[in-house]
Amino acid sequence: LFFAVMRLTKPTLFTNIPVTCEERDLPGNLFNQLMKDDPSTVKGAETLMLGEMLTLPQNFGNIFLGETFSSYISVHNDSSQVVKDILVKADLQTSSQRLNLSASSAAVAELKPDCCIDDVIHHEVKEIGTHILVCAVSYTTQTGEKMYFRKFFKFQVLKPLDVKTKFYNAETDEVFLEAQIQNITTSPMFMEKVSLEPSMMYNVAELNTVDTAGESESTFGARTYLQPMDTRQYLYCLKPKQEFAEKAGVIKGVTVIGKLDIVWKTNLGERGRLQTSQLQRMAPGYGDVRLSLETIPDTVNLEEPFDITCKITNCSERTMDLVLEMCNTNSIHWCGVSGRQLGKLHPSSSLHLALTLLSSVQGLQSVSGLRLTDTFLKRTYEYDDIAQVCVVSSEIKQS
Amino acid sequence: SNAKNEKRTSDENDSRDIVQQKTQEEILFHEETIDLGGDEFESEGNETVSEDSNNFVDKLNEQMMESVIISDSPNNSEDDTGELGCLQEIVDQMEAKDNQKSQTEVDKEEFLSNESETEHEETPKDISEIGTDDQASLKEESIQEAVKEEPKLGNNISIETKPNNIDESTPEDQMLSPSTTKPSSEAEPIPVCTIFSQANTASSQPQLFLPDGFEPQMVKSPSFSSIIETPVKSNPQVVQPSPSLSKFFGDTVNTNALASDFFDSFTTSNFISVSNPNASSSVPEQMSSLSNGGDGSSSNPSFPVQNGRSEAGGPPSSLEITQSPKPFSQIQAVFAGSDDPFATALNMSELDRRNDAWIPSEETRNVLISVATQQYSAVFIDKENLTMPGLKFDNIQGDAVKDLMLRFLGEQAAVKRQVLNANSVEQSFVGLKQLISSKNWRAAVDLCGRLLTAHGQGYKKSGLPASHTTDSLQLWFVRLSLLVKLNLFQSAEMEFEPFGNLDQPDLYYEYYPNVYPGRKGSMVPFSMRILHAELPQYLGNPQESLDRLHSMKIICTKILENLEQGLAEDGSMTNITQENRQASVQLWRSRLGRVMYSMANCLLMMKDYVLAVDAYHSVIKYYPQQEPQLLSGIGRIFLQIGDIKTAEKYFQDVEKVTHKLDGLQSQIMVLMNRAFLHLGQNNFAEAHRFFTEILRIDSSNAVANNNAAVCLLYLGKLKDSLRQLEGMVQQDPQHYLHESVLFNLTTMYELESSRSMQKKQALLEAVAIKEGDSFNTQCLKLG
Repeated sequence: LFFAVMRLTKPTLFTNIPVTCEERDLPGNLFNQLMKDDPSTVKGAETLMLGEMLTLPQNFGNIFLGETFSSYISVHNDSSQVVKDILVKADLQTSSQRLNLSASSAAVAELKPDCCIDDVIHHEVKEIGTHILVCAVSYTTQTGEKMYFRKFFKFQVLKPLDVKTKFYNAETDEVFLEAQIQNITTSPMFMEKVSLEPSMMYNVAELNTVDTAGESESTFGARTYLQPMDTRQYLYCLKPKQEFAEKAGVIKGVTVIGKLDIVWKTNLGERGRLQTSQLQRMAPGYGDVRLSLETIPDTVNLEEPFDITCKITNCSERTMDLVLEMCNTNSIHWCGVSGRQLGKLHPSSSLHLALTLLSSVQGLQSVSGLRLTDTFLKRTYEYDDIAQVCVVSSEIKQS
Repeated sequence: SNAKNEKRTSDENDSRDIVQQKTQEEILFHEETIDLGGDEFESEGNETVSEDSNNFVDKLNEQMMESVIISDSPNNSEDDTGELGCLQEIVDQMEAKDNQKSQTEVDKEEFLSNESETEHEETPKDISEIGTDDQASLKEESIQEAVKEEPKLGNNISIETKPNNIDESTPEDQMLSPSTTKPSSEAEPIPVCTIFSQANTASSQPQLFLPDGFEPQMVKSPSFSSIIETPVKSNPQVVQPSPSLSKFFGDTVNTNALASDFFDSFTTSNFISVSNPNASSSVPEQMSSLSNGGDGSSSNPSFPVQNGRSEAGGPPSSLEITQSPKPFSQIQAVFAGSDDPFATALNMSELDRRNDAWIPSEETRNVLISVATQQYSAVFIDKENLTMPGLKFDNIQGDAVKDLMLRFLGEQAAVKRQVLNANSVEQSFVGLKQLISSKNWRAAVDLCGRLLTAHGQGYKKSGLPASHTTDSLQLWFVRLSLLVKLNLFQSAEMEFEPFGNLDQPDLYYEYYPNVYPGRKGSMVPFSMRILHAELPQYLGNPQESLDRLHSMKIICTKILENLEQGLAEDGSMTNITQENRQASVQLWRSRLGRVMYSMANCLLMMKDYVLAVDAYHSVIKYYPQQEPQLLSGIGRIFLQIGDIKTAEKYFQDVEKVTHKLDGLQSQIMVLMNRAFLHLGQNNFAEAHRFFTEILRIDSSNAVANNNAAVCLLYLGKLKDSLRQLEGMVQQDPQHYLHESVLFNLTTMYELESSRSMQKKQALLEAVAIKEGDSFNTQCLKLG
């Protein structure tokens, strides 16, 4: 028996080298005629390099994690005798497991001379590193002799992508995720899908398209693919779901954000898919008492009072009794009484607070100077640079 | 088990041989790159690139950028040494089991694996583009792996280590090498099948960080040709073994294939020895010494060097002699078939002016004006500014098909192979055309050489003053075109060199006022300019090609502008009838379109797909009749990238355009596109259906036939696939003995049975009957 294996990567298109001439040149239309007669050129547009002829893969190529390994297994009876009970088995040995890839495990009853057994195996590669395809063939000869042989084919699975992430925590419980995906293969890669599958606590909004006139346009423009070593940055906004947002204290410490699901395609639609492991982030600590802004105007008039709304949340495990103090800064002047009692605040509960202030300086001003004191523990919490506000001269705003 | 031991030793011998070969090639590799000045450049390039990226990454790392482990399922941890060790054990166990087998079984296995080994010996020659590293490491991964690893580390340290620093997942990367070397030292070499022989080990990490990895990022506007980025530093491909096969989208692993790999596989055929750059580089040396001795007037090397060394002037008086043109009556006897240059010169026709028009550079124009005004008084021209071409090699030609026949089919069969050669045809243009159309391009190159020798521009004449005529330049054009068609790019480049940028004064008719009185324009055929511009991209320097094409584009645009403003092509005030002007505009528009075509092709080769697609779009403006083909082509580009959706959009556009046309050809085009789309969706069955559909309309469609057969293979129907291809080749060998078809056929033979050798030889016989000496024997994959 003859036994051979060939990896079936996608075929490639044949390309030719156009050499043209003009009628007045010495060869006349000879060169052009030669190109017309060449079956691999595109009829009517012979100068087009990229032809239509498919050619089989010339070498094993590279295989990357997440891609599908396909292989043709051919067993051919080269002898002049009928061979019986042929069993072809293809196993893939990885560093951690051994998988059976054969489509059928049943033995073929007999194989006549010059006949063959064909099998195309597929396997989605899930591990990096050395893989060994172990093909075993057993059969019985006409004389009843049992025969057995096997062959090993070794290949390396490489990493196709490099993924790096970065989290930003917004003042409102949103989390922004920046994910850089780099193509570390040697061929261009079309990113079919890069999505974030959020964990149960979050809803996700993808920020990779811009809506223009009802049509969403990719922020990556017309370049739909990644050249080798190119990196693309994807942006996602995660909002905690309502039921979790209410309990602000819940989202604390290390939390699971979700995982990235990446689908790409290369030559003639050769597909690959990967998921990252669960992305985790360290939620920012808010201390015992968290003060967040609910509303604030973006532009205010100089020396005119404006309102802001704050939300004060007790993130600690105990009840607090809070007193609010307001300290003026160079530019920010608080209106109202400082040292106001806010009353008791139970763990994980919050209260809303409307405050009035004005600015005496133009420009972008930082709202600072709030102090909360827990009278039970005599502990003071300071809140500076809570938000910025743009202060303009009132004449400008009127005009 | 004596047999076992014996086998082991023989294996070791084999591998040692390979090691030697390997190291030799390693050395060769070095000489090669240093010769071409590529090596230092490359390593420098690498360093800067990786440093840059370091900085870049640092910037990005500012805060908390972390590397994320990619795993298909969260449970799959990264492999570590422990797990590999476990794999090792398993392999050992398997070996142990093997040893326990009965003697007969072992014998049988021995036989089989030996068989596979003998095939190995052939593979490196077959698939020569793969790069020797890969082959050696794949086959027997024991000793030579270690040997190989070392020199590589020595060469590429900068490449290997730096990217690893960036990439935080170094552990795995480093693991790769130990993991490949370790098990092999213990385990028996694992036999590997022929077709499988492309290895990954060598191509693993370092090649991911090929210096050209960063190249495509540089987005350039085509109109800024002055900003020349460092070109893709893929190793110069001296002779591409089969350059047309998948150079564009395939793995860039191939680009590492050096000439040395290739020579190994082809040392038997004649032409290689000629195109070997080492061999030919000795030629200029000889010649320079010759020109120094013989031509006392000049002290500069044989080629007119463009770098502006002014010492080259030499005594002007002696140069003056050379530029006064002499009639070539003696040569004209040879060119019986051609027009009498005097006759054509005397009546400078509309057609001539239109076709030969070209706008010289300022410098050249000044020289031409001084020639025109001063006639025979002293005009001093630097020798640098003269074109002094000559054949760079003599009689390169052989017949690779015949050589293979001698090797595999014996002398008797080889004698039967009869092809035309330079001697068997009339020594004229007629004979030349005969050779070209019968696909004996090698012989045609020879004949061009002879005819040029008659022109005084023969072997070793480079660097000697020469006079040019329409005919001599046409001969050069044909010869150089054929060299390119034969993929002998290096040779073509060498012979092109003396022509400079095709703008030297002696390449204009005005330079020879008494030979071509009143005639204006350039003697250089427009197609030769195209050829000249396209050439560098085949030698790994597509940037240079783009530069040359852009300067051509500028001149074409200028000529069109001149015509629009009522001037003659070259901007002079000449009266042209409306009719002639129209014809001229048409000609130059189509020429401009041709330039755009070349640009698009070049961009495609650079894998700059966005610009390539743009360029093809602009080609449509110049060749509206090719719109459906070009749109389909763009669709295929997107398919190749993997962007199936955009591809589909283009294919739909094609259907819209062809809807109006209605004809067999457009029908085929639509079906073909649909088939390709299914191919992109991994639906080989459907793709096969559409290819078969085409065959129903046009049973002789070679592309559909071949592609249907390829689909069958992917569907697991090897025998059917073979039957289809064989049927097609037998049906019309004149047409279907094409490189790509034969390549597919031989690949399938190798997969099918151990009789692939006989079957390939049968193909060789078929080729021998039908094909000329220009046939690329590589596709037969005969050792």
